[in-house]
Amino acid sequence: MLYVLSKISRKYGSRTVLDIPLMEIEKGKIYALLGPNGAGKTTLLNILGFLEAPTAGDVFYHSTRVSFFESYLQNLRREVVMIDQHPILFTGTVYKNVEFGLKIRGISQKKRGIIIEETLDLVGMSNFIQAQAHRLSGGETQRVALARALAVSPEVLLCDEPSSNLDVENQAAIINTLKQINEQRKITIMFTTHYIYQISSLAHHTFFLDQGKLTTAQAERFKLRQ
Amino acid sequence: MELLTDSFLSAILLIFSLDPEVLSIVCVSLKVSGISTLFASLMGLPLGFLIAYASFKGKRILIICLNTMLSLPTVVIGLFVYSFISRRSILGSLDLLYTQKAIVIGQIILVLPIVATLTIAAISRIDERYRKTAMTLGANRRQTACVIFREARFGIVAAVIAAFGRVIAEVGISMMLGGNARGFTRTMTTAMALEYDKGEFILAVALGIILLVLSFSINLIFHFFQGRTGT
Repeated sequence: MLYVLSKISRKYGSRTVLDIPLMEIEKGKIYALLGPNGAGKTTLLNILGFLEAPTAGDVFYHSTRVSFFESYLQNLRREVVMIDQHPILFTGTVYKNVEFGLKIRGISQKKRGIIIEETLDLVGMSNFIQAQAHRLSGGETQRVALARALAVSPEVLLCDEPSSNLDVENQAAIINTLKQINEQRKITIMFTTHYIYQISSLAHHTFFLDQGKLTTAQAERFKLRQ
Repeated sequence: MELLTDSFLSAILLIFSLDPEVLSIVCVSLKVSGISTLFASLMGLPLGFLIAYASFKGKRILIICLNTMLSLPTVVIGLFVYSFISRRSILGSLDLLYTQKAIVIGQIILVLPIVATLTIAAISRIDERYRKTAMTLGANRRQTACVIFREARFGIVAAVIAAFGRVIAEVGISMMLGGNARGFTRTMTTAMALEYDKGEFILAVALGIILLVLSFSINLIFHFFQGRTGT
């Protein structure tokens, strides 16, 4: 198993936003995470992305228990990349944005250039390589954010509503890219969504989260509907 | 009205004649203000960044204290520094009183809270997603801090400009700690005060015009830079 979450809970003050007795994630699969607003989807992604520590419980990654200490987490974060629901690009060009993760990994300039061109080509944004990031549309921003994440060759990609607020063309482009990278690079993907058709066309497994708890009944109902 | 127009025209002529006294006063002012802004920025920017970025007990109190220090009168700072550097006090042996160094020390105390509070405001305005994005892409704390600093750069430059504008225009500290010695510690503002006392308005108006032009130029450069980078 890639991830095992055991008796995980996350509280903000007295409010419990996540309470998961057991969750297992297999390597190389695509997982959909469904649930109403406020169900704890983003919190779960933050924990899986090592950006937030659970209040209680254990996270095992590659069968090793994760200690949520900053110095330890940095290496893990280099394997897991999260793309926000409304991704933000750094000030500068598209090239500089995609270069960011590569530069901090100490990859040579020549190699960086090749990777950046490849990943931008993969998401259909190679014509925008020298464009100023803040001038891009919502769909273009989402695709550059995806390229920026893919450039660092993550083992896991966590996408918080990767195609929300996008037009049909951009939605299709994102979905196709996710499918492609899963098939070719065997990247494990977990995404949250509100679109049922995305789950049926993309996900191998579906988790349903309601009020912070994994709800099997809902998931079964969803399978039957499919 | 006639006095003003006559003084203004004579002041313009004085500026364009590159009068040595005017040049000396402007040089002292720029040197002292530049050094104090530099040191205040070197201390205030990291301080402001740390306060904005880190969560710790007493953070609010510290911000309130810094905000309170914004309204410190220059004469109070002058008196405070004087009590440390006057001949008979703790640092009297360093012979700092009535030197440019004394003015610099006082001015640093004056603008350090300005740089720190404006940096806090600039950093706090930066979207939380920048931090999260840098971290998820594998950045360590220092690299994440650099990202935030870069995104807040206009606010930070504005903080430094505001600090420079404050020190170049202050008079209390320069007068009390510098002593207004001609050619050494006479700044634009102390010279203007002196000329006013003497009833000689031409040099005072000339220095006033230079102060305004300097302030305008710095802001113009800042806005030009902001425009060029497209934000």
